[in-house]
Amino acid sequence: MAENDSLNIYEKEAEEMTALKKITAENKFERTSGGFINLTFEGVTYERVKVVRLFPFTDANKFISIRQNNDKAKEIGIIEDLDELNKETKEMLEEQLRLNYFTPVIEKIYNIKDEYGYAYFHVKTDKGECKFAINMASNAVTKLSDSRLIIADLDENRFEIRDVNALTQKERRKLDLFL
Amino acid sequence: MKDNKLTPNIINKIKNYKISEKDVLSVCPVDISAEGEYILGYVFLTKQYLGVCESKVPENYTHYFRGTKVHTKKEEEDFAEYEIKLFDLSKIEHVNVERAIGTACLTAEYDTEKTRIASLSNTYLEQINNFVRQLNNIKNGKDLDDDIPQNENEEENEEDLYCPICGTMYPDAKKKVCPKCTNKGTIFFRVLRYFFKYKFQIAILFSTYAIFAAVGIAWPYLSGTVLFDYILEKNPDFLDRFGLGGKFVLALGLLAIVMVGCRLITALTDTIQMALMAKIATSTVRDIKSDVFAAMSRLSLNFFTSKQTGGLMTRVINDSNRVTEFFIDGIPSVLIQGTTIIITFIVMYRLNWQMALIACILLPLLVFMTVKLRPGLWSLSGKRHRAEKAVSSKANDNLTGARVVKAFGQEDAELERFVRPNNNLKDAEINIVKLKNRFTILYSLVQEVSSIWIWIIGVFFVLKTKSIDLGVLLTFVGYVAQLNGPMNFFSRVFRMWTESINAAQRLFEIIDSIPEIAEKENPVRLIKPRGEIELENVTFGYNVSKNVLKGINLKVKEGEVLGIVGRSGAGKSTLVNLISRLYDVKEGSIKIDGTDVKDLALSDLRKNVAMVSQDTYIFMGSVAKNIAYGNEGASREEIIKAAKLASAHEFISKMPDGYDTIIGASGKDLSGGERQRISIARAILANPKILILDEATASVDTETEKAIQNSLKYLVKGRTTLSIAHRLSTLRDADRLIVIDDGRIVEEGTHDELEKIEDGIFHKLNELQNKSLSVSNF
Repeated sequence: MAENDSLNIYEKEAEEMTALKKITAENKFERTSGGFINLTFEGVTYERVKVVRLFPFTDANKFISIRQNNDKAKEIGIIEDLDELNKETKEMLEEQLRLNYFTPVIEKIYNIKDEYGYAYFHVKTDKGECKFAINMASNAVTKLSDSRLIIADLDENRFEIRDVNALTQKERRKLDLFL
Repeated sequence: MKDNKLTPNIINKIKNYKISEKDVLSVCPVDISAEGEYILGYVFLTKQYLGVCESKVPENYTHYFRGTKVHTKKEEEDFAEYEIKLFDLSKIEHVNVERAIGTACLTAEYDTEKTRIASLSNTYLEQINNFVRQLNNIKNGKDLDDDIPQNENEEENEEDLYCPICGTMYPDAKKKVCPKCTNKGTIFFRVLRYFFKYKFQIAILFSTYAIFAAVGIAWPYLSGTVLFDYILEKNPDFLDRFGLGGKFVLALGLLAIVMVGCRLITALTDTIQMALMAKIATSTVRDIKSDVFAAMSRLSLNFFTSKQTGGLMTRVINDSNRVTEFFIDGIPSVLIQGTTIIITFIVMYRLNWQMALIACILLPLLVFMTVKLRPGLWSLSGKRHRAEKAVSSKANDNLTGARVVKAFGQEDAELERFVRPNNNLKDAEINIVKLKNRFTILYSLVQEVSSIWIWIIGVFFVLKTKSIDLGVLLTFVGYVAQLNGPMNFFSRVFRMWTESINAAQRLFEIIDSIPEIAEKENPVRLIKPRGEIELENVTFGYNVSKNVLKGINLKVKEGEVLGIVGRSGAGKSTLVNLISRLYDVKEGSIKIDGTDVKDLALSDLRKNVAMVSQDTYIFMGSVAKNIAYGNEGASREEIIKAAKLASAHEFISKMPDGYDTIIGASGKDLSGGERQRISIARAILANPKILILDEATASVDTETEKAIQNSLKYLVKGRTTLSIAHRLSTLRDADRLIVIDDGRIVEEGTHDELEKIEDGIFHKLNELQNKSLSVSNF
């Protein structure tokens, strides 16, 4: 009988592992003085939780996974839609997301120079003017769609071009190499 | 990119906190604020404090990232007003660098409160890790770099990071190649060196070109001036010169013979040319291909995982062909055709300079247009390469995944997905052809217009001013027509040059890549290894943002059988990959018989460490050759013995051609278990001192597993064995087991010892496996 009991425990664990838990507006998030967030969920308070986007490119504000802050980073639950939370919580979480998914958006291309296996970018982003280099041989430029690009520099810093078509003809021609 | 140095502004300011410049032990730049904006900033370390200086970015500030900064001797002017925060080192615990997607965060427990200290982009990740290490040393009362052996601690000279010519930072500090200063000329001469091997053939090739050109230049003169003005006009002076006074018919006959001779010579040189070109081109392509292939095999595994195989295939196959075109067809022609043009003009000028001027009046326009159109070719070539790469990658993915595609009935969808890159390639090709045509049209237009021009003005001269003869006019027209060939060629040569150099650049990039796993100079030989393995504080991750192994300490004695257990993704395979040095550790060291694997000769290491892994590599060839892979000298008997021990002999002897059966890519298909048994036989034959079994029996049935277990029992004798297995029963005979979870060793001991830890992972896994077996037996 004892054997069956322990088996039940394992089954329960397995069930827990596969269950999809939802975090809603009722669950309490709080800011910490150290600049992080605590979450109280199902009676347990998790300190400084991790906020992870499950669809960072295609649906950045939906399906946000909240995870424990340790090596295993076990999932506590999923927020289905950030917009359904109250304003304060949303802001709190967005702050964390902004920092975790820091990606300057390229607004203007001054110059792109292709030199012996590397390309030098000089651009204006929403975070200021940047000069960075990419390696042409690795897959530094990811095409998310026909008009959206993610560019990773030599250190894997990310830059994004939201809409290629919003650029001027001249800028597009500079970017031509990657389209 | 910022240097690891505080600005004078900050040094002034921290004096208020009674910190002087020499108190600062270590500095690391940081560049992101808590709000997720770029900032200017530094963290620094003193004996008492961890300091953070942050400032808003001044207006019109440009952020430089790796590879873009230009080195200046001058101190950078610093207008920023820094805010300074100090953290007391005694109150700070668990300092850690946490990685997010594009940023990292320096966190710690300050006064037991988990606190974000600073954020930074990946640019400074290496520096911050170093900083944290030094911080922990200071905190523990040690010297700054106490944990690094002295010789490795040599600070890299800052100047070495920048190109001495243009002062720009090298994108790859190890390679020290400045992309900006590697001009196309050097690429050209490097390719040229490949041809030097065929000096003799090339000399002949050039002389045929020269003969061809000489005949070409003489031709209009023979068919124009000589025929019309001298022979048909019955010019006695001319005939007397050849001693043919009055014999016009004979002269005409001789001229005809000379002209036929000229044509014959042209045909002959043409044939020789073709044959030589074919030989030189193919030989060079072969040489380049072998070099690229050799360079690729030298590279570390990381290189292959970071690139699509399709792209690499494009390089080896298409690019090496493309390189030679310009060199074989182009260079000699440039010389010959160029001379032809010049000589033609000189001759024309000598005949009648006014007419000559008229003929070349359009040339400046031509040069201008060419200069304008040329850069477009370069980017189009690059674009076509990328399109080619996409197509071959797609095809490659699809062919290797054919089984899954068919199983999911996705043939049509895949076809649709293939259409896009394929279309892109078509467009890229069309774009090149379009531009190429523009060149052709331009050049032939200039030639045509000039020729009509000459007719009109020439006729005017002949009829009105009578300043020239009809023969001279005909000669002129002939020469202008003669320019057709060279012009045509020059319209193509720019495309050829661009494509060649473009392709050559990509090839040299591979040839120049420095393998991450490099053998040391004067490596230590591993002659009679004992097979002792020692891992000290090993940390490793495949990319910067995630460590797979964290601080692993492990000692495996000579001849010990060590079982490695853990959930999938825990880092088991990574651990054994490090031991056979497919990757290098990020931190810590791995020693075999007390010598760091980085110091060992690679060939010795690979010979003495054999791996039977989850993915088996069966190449196209006979079964016997596959078993003897890496051990070519093995006798038939040894091969059969090894196969027997791996329980492979049975199925091999049932194959139609026995050990000579061709297996591999297109040969007879083997089952997963059969493949695995062949790779076990391979390991047995290799007779290594250290044996790594990475799920060696994962894809065989229980009965075969039992058989293999038996042979493994023989195999592990006298060897140090590391065995990874999900099925714990496989590891029953291991001397010791370790459980890896999340990159750390969490449990260690014999099978029975681990079994007793009731809340341990091993206990749980074991229970689960036994239980689920017994349940299914009900």
